[in-house]
Amino acid sequence: MESILSTGLIGLSLGTQYAMIAIGFTLIFGIMGVINFMHGGGYAIGGYLTFALVSVVGLPFWIAVIAAALGTAVIGYLIEVFFVDKWASDHTASMLITMGIYMISTTILIMIFGPEPVSGFSFPIRGAFRFAGLYLPYSTAIVMAVCTVVILAMFWLIYRTRYGISLRAMADDRDCATAQGIRPSVMFPMAFALAGLTGGLVTPILSLDAHLGEGQLLKAFIVVILGGLGSVGGATIAAFLVGMVEAYSSVYLGGSRGALVLFVIVLLILLVRPAGLMGRETRKA
Amino acid sequence: MKPRRERDLNVDIWGIVVIAAFLLVPLLGRSPLTLSLGHQVVIGITAAFAVYIMERMNLLAFTVPAFMAIGGYAAAMLATNGITSLPILMLVALVVPMIVALPLGLVVLRLKGVYFIFFTFILNEALQVVIFETPGLTGGANGIAGIPPASFMGQSLSTLPLLTAVTVVTGIVAGILTLLVTHRFRAEFSAIQDNQTLAQSLGVAVWKYRTIGFIASAGISGLAGFALVNMLSTAHPSSFTSMSAVQYVAYAFVGGKTTILGSVVGASLLVTMSNLFSAQGMLSSALFGLLLMSVVMAAPGGIVGEIRKRIERMRLNRLRDRT
Repeated sequence: MESILSTGLIGLSLGTQYAMIAIGFTLIFGIMGVINFMHGGGYAIGGYLTFALVSVVGLPFWIAVIAAALGTAVIGYLIEVFFVDKWASDHTASMLITMGIYMISTTILIMIFGPEPVSGFSFPIRGAFRFAGLYLPYSTAIVMAVCTVVILAMFWLIYRTRYGISLRAMADDRDCATAQGIRPSVMFPMAFALAGLTGGLVTPILSLDAHLGEGQLLKAFIVVILGGLGSVGGATIAAFLVGMVEAYSSVYLGGSRGALVLFVIVLLILLVRPAGLMGRETRKA
Repeated sequence: MKPRRERDLNVDIWGIVVIAAFLLVPLLGRSPLTLSLGHQVVIGITAAFAVYIMERMNLLAFTVPAFMAIGGYAAAMLATNGITSLPILMLVALVVPMIVALPLGLVVLRLKGVYFIFFTFILNEALQVVIFETPGLTGGANGIAGIPPASFMGQSLSTLPLLTAVTVVTGIVAGILTLLVTHRFRAEFSAIQDNQTLAQSLGVAVWKYRTIGFIASAGISGLAGFALVNMLSTAHPSSFTSMSAVQYVAYAFVGGKTTILGSVVGASLLVTMSNLFSAQGMLSSALFGLLLMSVVMAAPGGIVGEIRKRIERMRLNRLRDRT
């Protein structure tokens, strides 16, 4: 029983991380129509910036994480302004451009930090909660708490503010919303800040290497099509579903079989609901 | 001026002629580097054809590596069991992915827009897991090594020039099949590409033509997989990663996604440049990324598309001057 509950906690933790990545990804697509292959790169950059600010500059971990999220947001803004804005209406062109940027960013990370995974980068708080046979490391609990707060803040922003309403108007009819003076140019920085924050928090617990982005991108794809494109609520539900399935299937079936179970579930859900759990008719591809 | 259909056919035939010209590589060049580059370019072209077929219906498919793996592994299993005849291996590499694509297409083609794109991307990962989980059949993480080369009329095609010739012949077959499919169903594919809903309302059986395109694309991918496996004499999951799908899309897009010649030009340019960049070691990936971005931003219609646009503009100017 304890094992089942502990695995559930791992699933929740994975779910919050995937939600952070997927919300940014789904917002960029839903509002701008861009398939952002650089999104996973934002996660890796967040991790490396945090690592550099802690180990080279000597900043305290928490300040380094916030600075890394802001730094990643700036990178996102520059990418949007200089490379994406003009090509946003063409899915394939914007996808290939962000793919090119991802290749360049990965090379830069390798040139600066080397091709091997970073060693000696760990979460500053050790220890774990132990209660009635349950086990939860403090680091995981803190990451879950921070991610939950950020996810709730995103919900508030999207569904409870005028700014959120204008963003959703942009998702419904980009041309009309642009004519009303609404600009989506804060989307990339916001999404990159989420990815960078997640990278800064999670990579000290898991691992940090330059190619991390590819795995994160794949997870974002799975979560976003399960949840329904452009749906923040759908992405969040799907992220927890994926986290849970991954945790239980990895523990009880083994690594790659667990992944297979996930793919089968995705396939079955899409058979019943081709637009995902909370999706609607999508933009043309 | 010739009608658009005839001009497109001419451009596509030129695409096949250019691939056929790659037969000169094993005839003239003996350098392993040249032969290896020829191999890679033609495999890239063949894989780009699979993307091109789907693009003709406005569908961006990332399934190429998955079907390459199915075709490549099917041929590898046959060859390691003693059947090395080139026509049989090519037929198996073509047909097995098509058979797999039929039921899969019934599910995948229900998805619209970006759901289709993302799901086809995920399919590659699913297939990788299947390969890892079936070591008895596919060799698992080790793959299938020591695959005997294809043979023709009892003659083993094992030397480097002959291996290259096999790859080029596979590319020519793939090119001809692509030409046949895209021109036989040109009107239907174009109607779907322009407006799927309108096409459906005018009586075009959209699901039927999308399925035909998907199956044809799977078969062409399988041929590319066979060429790759035959060249490496190994079928390994690392040869068919999800990210390689983006490269094949890039080949078709950079060259120009509206013609067969576009795939040929795009793959030839990007594979050659990628090989040149590999001399720069660590920087090669960044240089490739930079090239990809530059070409996409400078020529949004692809290289062939931009050239055709300029030629047509010149023709129109000349006509205007005459009148």
